[in-house]
Amino acid sequence: MTLLEVEDLRVRLRTPRGPAAVVNGLSYSVGEGETVAVVGESGSGKSVSVLALLGLLPARSATVTGRALLHGEDLLTMPPERLRQVRGPGIGMVFQDPMTSLNPVLTIGRQLVEGIRAHGEVSKADARRRAAELLGEVGLPDPRGTLDRYPHELSGGMRQRVVIAIALSNSPSLLIADEATTALDVTVQAQIIDLVERLQADHGTGVVWITHDLGVVAGIADRVLVMYGGRCVEDGTVDDVLEHPAHPYTRGLLGALPDLAAPAVDGEVPDLTTVPGVPPAPTDLPPGCVFWPRCPVRSDPRCETQQPPLAVVAASTGVLPHRAATWCAEEAPRG
Amino acid sequence: MDDVLVSARGLEVHFPVRAKGVGRRTAGVLRAVDGVDLDIRRGETLGLVGESGCGKSTLGNALLRLVPPTGGTVTFDGIDVTSLDRRRMRQLRRRAGMVFQDPFASLDPRRTVAQTVSEPLEVHGLHGGRRERAQRVGELLELVGLDPAVAGRYPHEFSGGQRQRVGIARALAGEPDFLVCDEAIASLDVSVQAQVLNLLRRLQRRLGLTLLFISHDLSAVRHISDRIAVMYLGRIVEIGPASAVGAEPQMPYTQALLSAVPVPHPALERSRRRIVLGGDVPSPANVPSGCRFRTRCPYVFEPCPDVDPALQPVGAAPDHVAACHLHGVVGTPVRHDEGVDVGS
Amino acid sequence: MSAAAPTPGPAPRSPAEPDAPARSSAAPDATAWSSAAPDATAWSSAAPAPAPRRARPRWQETLGLLARNPSAAVSAVLLLLLVLVAVFDETLAPSGPNEISVADRLQSPSLEHPFGTDDLGRDIFSRVILGAGVSLRVGFLAVAFALVVGSLAGLLAGFYGRWVDDVLMRAMDVLFAFPAVLLAIAVLAVRGPGAGNTALAIGIVYIPVFARVTRASVLGVREEVYVRASRSVGASDLRLLTRHVLPNAAPPIIVQTSISLAFAVLAEAALSFLGLGTQPPNPAWGLMLAEGRGYIDLAWWLAFFPGMAIFLTVLCFNLLGDGLRDVLDPRQRTLMSGGGR
Repeated sequence: MTLLEVEDLRVRLRTPRGPAAVVNGLSYSVGEGETVAVVGESGSGKSVSVLALLGLLPARSATVTGRALLHGEDLLTMPPERLRQVRGPGIGMVFQDPMTSLNPVLTIGRQLVEGIRAHGEVSKADARRRAAELLGEVGLPDPRGTLDRYPHELSGGMRQRVVIAIALSNSPSLLIADEATTALDVTVQAQIIDLVERLQADHGTGVVWITHDLGVVAGIADRVLVMYGGRCVEDGTVDDVLEHPAHPYTRGLLGALPDLAAPAVDGEVPDLTTVPGVPPAPTDLPPGCVFWPRCPVRSDPRCETQQPPLAVVAASTGVLPHRAATWCAEEAPRG
Repeated sequence: MDDVLVSARGLEVHFPVRAKGVGRRTAGVLRAVDGVDLDIRRGETLGLVGESGCGKSTLGNALLRLVPPTGGTVTFDGIDVTSLDRRRMRQLRRRAGMVFQDPFASLDPRRTVAQTVSEPLEVHGLHGGRRERAQRVGELLELVGLDPAVAGRYPHEFSGGQRQRVGIARALAGEPDFLVCDEAIASLDVSVQAQVLNLLRRLQRRLGLTLLFISHDLSAVRHISDRIAVMYLGRIVEIGPASAVGAEPQMPYTQALLSAVPVPHPALERSRRRIVLGGDVPSPANVPSGCRFRTRCPYVFEPCPDVDPALQPVGAAPDHVAACHLHGVVGTPVRHDEGVDVGS
Repeated sequence: MSAAAPTPGPAPRSPAEPDAPARSSAAPDATAWSSAAPDATAWSSAAPAPAPRRARPRWQETLGLLARNPSAAVSAVLLLLLVLVAVFDETLAPSGPNEISVADRLQSPSLEHPFGTDDLGRDIFSRVILGAGVSLRVGFLAVAFALVVGSLAGLLAGFYGRWVDDVLMRAMDVLFAFPAVLLAIAVLAVRGPGAGNTALAIGIVYIPVFARVTRASVLGVREEVYVRASRSVGASDLRLLTRHVLPNAAPPIIVQTSISLAFAVLAEAALSFLGLGTQPPNPAWGLMLAEGRGYIDLAWWLAFFPGMAIFLTVLCFNLLGDGLRDVLDPRQRTLMSGGGR
């Protein structure tokens, strides 16, 4: 069953340097119990795309078009009052820096209880009991004691778990995690990923996982969407995209990763392949393929001038189509 | 080639701490670096990994005396760094460069790239003369892959990767023997990280640099290093050839750390056994007695709280040592009157 | 894109130092140090330059932003005019400050005497112009003194911390604890009245203000990574202080200077009004105000014009200070110019 259906999402931001096309026609869907990873580097528009869904962009400078149906209801045209109701029980959010999501002067318990009571007729005592349960569920030791502590008394990993507990407090059907583990150590990241996977298995939550880390994607995602210059340049199942990347950008990104799994031919580690240059500014996107200025392939005359559509890659295998927006799609296994 | 350039013996960096909150003003000690013995060989790249708060950054700074050590010694090319007077220390800095994490913070926003890169030249009176220095700055910028024409620009005109190159050029300006990279790629985008990693590797080979590459990113460390040292709570717990530490880690902490690093291969990632450690890293102000890792170690047994493990040879590779009682109980028994017992 | 490009090419390398065997073994490979890394070319040529805008120097940007702030811009222009008036006061004033003409006493403003004349028949317009020189000179001297002493104390206290901080800042606290006017009166009582001593008295009062502002700013800058980076290449404390810490700590000090000038002009007027500053018959705005007080219902212009001069000068310095604060605050700068970080 489809939880979220995003169609042709576009975000324009007014900036002092002119209008910025930050998200340009993004479409994807998230099913029950499914994890969709949105991958991209800074400035790719991946974070803005979810802020737009949640109505968290400044209305004065942002224009959002397209459709985003959550259980058939369009988030983008929803009145603010209804959207606020949806945010808790419909969508839970976890952002990169747990410190900014938590109010430093309120106890953990107070913040959790507030969230629980905002979306239902619950007595204070019941809400507190539920809060303690949640903290236990996300693996915090001593949940009752933690309720009375302040955010600064917890470590980064514990804080992020609290944020997840708050996000889950109204059992949302969709969880959006924006670089939720980026600031954490790998061992803590492993704990958090474990936690999310377990919750997903238990409650059938759909997850949109936004990250730049392809390793995390490989572990957690069912489907992957690679963003560049505000466009989706490649999507498909995680195996298709990561093992048989079709877009030169995806291939470049994978080649740029030092790989712990396949290293050293006796001591000599080959150089990483790099993507030259830097991503384009959203105020000044190239007219053709967004990746053209940095692309090492450019084997088609249309590259520079014509925008390639997201087309199914020849050797698409899985149940889901493997698509790439490039004129130069080659089905080359990663080497 | 066993020629040691930088060597630490029993290095300690302790910070006094005051407990927060009213009425709890008891002073404690934060053991950021707590007894590190380390030899960095001439011309090698040593990777130093560990999680946040393990003291790896403090160790890097203490080796260059940018943070004053509170105990132990550091020698640089036979010179005892810890006992040098300020002037001699400043002179020695020409021979050691440092690249910092945040390329947005490590360049003075009010100084041009040329001014920043030529600072070491001015400080040490190298390449005297305006023209010579300008030329040298141009060479340095080319060396790190920047157009010399950008010398007159200010940092805010550059991207993160470009700024990090400027930072590397500054660190290399004095033609150092030793370069410390403190999380030098942590704030960069993946594709830019690769550019900087390649650059560092090339520079290291070309200039015969001795490189200390400090990072929390095991994949990057594995990629660039000849040897890897793993740090936990102020101590080095395992050190050995990169291939050995990367493929056959002998200390349970290193094993957990490696298993937690996600790799971009879906099939492998699904089948891999991830060792998920329980709990959090204890505070360096309250270090467990004996083995520091025992509060989270899945294999903890009797001697762990009572004997402080010493580094001992482990595994098949020569030169591979780890501090773990699973390979034989070696170390200093804990005197219980002074050990801080935090239980388990 | 017009930055001067130093011609690249193989340059004579400095001879390898005897104390660096590793380096000297690499020395014959002079090309290593001077040629570009292979990936460099790929990196810089493959991408059509990421087009970093050629930004204007900071001071130009600052002036540009200031010009867009109307009240600050107008204030700056008025103050510039005032300084010019003060510099050329002798040429501009239609008559001398003490040309007494009993026949013309207490004349109301007219074409001949735009601001009227006082009880001794002196031209008030001329005296206001000449008073500008006195007021500004005392104001600038006082603030310069406070700026130098106070900023130095704040710089050292903030940079070195520990006992330096304790000693210097406790001294500032003591100075701060005296009521300002009382302190100034005490200084003048000891040293006697006069322009120089007035400036000194006002200057002493403002030392702690500058010390505190500077210290707070330095405390922030001291922890910046670029300061540590500079230390890591061997820069001395003096170099750190003059090249990195002071320039980056300067914006709040500049704002404080402008605002303090307003207070200094006001303080000079107050002290002169009390008879402790400039002594008659010299023209000073505060003194003229005091002299005109007795005739306020008979001849309003005696007090009005010097009063207006004080009012406008103080207002302009304050507005300029506010404008500078907006412009020099980096967050404001980003907001207003839309620049990156």
